[in-house]
Amino acid sequence: MAPVKPALARVLLRLFAVQASYNYERMLGVGVGVAEEPLLRDLADDGGPDRYRAAVARGAHFFNAHPYLVGLAVGAAARAEHDGAAPDQVERLRAALCGPLGSLGDRLVWVGWLPLLSGLALCGIALGAGWTAVVAFLAIYNAGHVALRWWALRAGWEHGARVGSALHHPLLQRGIAVLAPAMAAAVGAALPLSAQYLAAPFAGLVQIAIVATAAVGFLALRLLPERLTGLRLGLVLAAAALAAGLLWP
Amino acid sequence: MSLDATLALLLWGTFVGLDLVSLPQMMIARPLVAGTVAGAILGDIETGLKLGVVFELLQYDIIPIGAVRYPEYGPATVGAVATANIAAGALGLGLGALIGLVTGLVGGVTIHLLRRINSRAVHAAAATLESGDPRALVRFHVAALLRDAARAALVTAFGLTLALTARPLLGGVLTLRGVTLLAVAVVAAALASGAAGTLRLVGRGPNLAWFAAGLGGGVVVAWLR
Repeated sequence: MAPVKPALARVLLRLFAVQASYNYERMLGVGVGVAEEPLLRDLADDGGPDRYRAAVARGAHFFNAHPYLVGLAVGAAARAEHDGAAPDQVERLRAALCGPLGSLGDRLVWVGWLPLLSGLALCGIALGAGWTAVVAFLAIYNAGHVALRWWALRAGWEHGARVGSALHHPLLQRGIAVLAPAMAAAVGAALPLSAQYLAAPFAGLVQIAIVATAAVGFLALRLLPERLTGLRLGLVLAAAALAAGLLWP
Repeated sequence: MSLDATLALLLWGTFVGLDLVSLPQMMIARPLVAGTVAGAILGDIETGLKLGVVFELLQYDIIPIGAVRYPEYGPATVGAVATANIAAGALGLGLGALIGLVTGLVGGVTIHLLRRINSRAVHAAAATLESGDPRALVRFHVAALLRDAARAALVTAFGLTLALTARPLLGGVLTLRGVTLLAVAVVAAALASGAAGTLRLVGRGPNLAWFAAGLGGGVVVAWLR
């Protein structure tokens, strides 16, 4: 087998664009195939071009998961191909990883790490930190982001078909347990501080109007979750404000 | 707004639009980042931060799970900041957010359209993809990436066009009361959306107590300042 480190680095770079050809037919599949390909090149030497091409084609089949953890499936599938797993075994491995990787990534990143740091950045801005809060958000978020992508790829490559054990890594479980309450507290604190920051330029009565309108909007969003989104609420309120402003000079 | 600044915003909005899904997902697409950099390009970071906060709160309404459809607030925030820069003061905040909301809506529609176009392309290229030719695979992927870049540029251009036309169209018509009402509407919508979205993330389990503690702490700090 050729040196793995450069191939893993190439895969990591390609994983940053894994969603570029996102579609409703294969979801992330094509991107996963593109990312996996550097780890499959050895197969052409070991088993001939047919084995290599069949593995590349398999890599581009349907796949969907959290983008930051896709590397785990890429590494595991590539290792399984090298270990001589049967094609249907590789397909089953990929299919089995979709759900857990999606669920784990959503809880860890979309519902944990990202809103936690976004909430802290909002607090920072409201308390006068300005653009430095935004720079800190970007730097800290991406330290975690890149580390997670690299860990996932390496874990997948090391464990191969037995990659399921990597998903029970204590750090991941501990991370979810800590991030969820931290996120809740950070965003909870960010809401009143952001309200104060945004309402500061206005007079007292206008500030009361903002809070009252926000309370009505919040209730509407809670009562009509299927029909009303934040975007729709914003457009409806803005349209009403425009109409009122034009009719009530 | 100078031509240089407009072109710089167009380029920035394109990067922001690409970052959301395609490359590299490092969260420059978050409104806080998109707005702050757009403000820096225009020499007005404070306005960028303010509109960034408005759209960041709206962003809490979205969890990008699976193939869910959602508005695109990154390029929208760039358009919003450009509008606010042209129409300064309270008019800037309200009008900027309105332009951003419309741009976000259009951006969301274009993401859905792009995914459908990509689906058709996958269908058409099924035989090539099944051949396992790595060059064909990469070509397909890069073509999709370029389509997304073009989409992001178009959405940003749409937002900037609205920014340039909104001020002459609405600026002279709206009274001070109308301007204030518009600002109240968008700030209230952002706060309501942020609160409702956060509660959806938090759920009804033990994290609700942490949310309440954070909320209480935030109120106390806001009160003391």
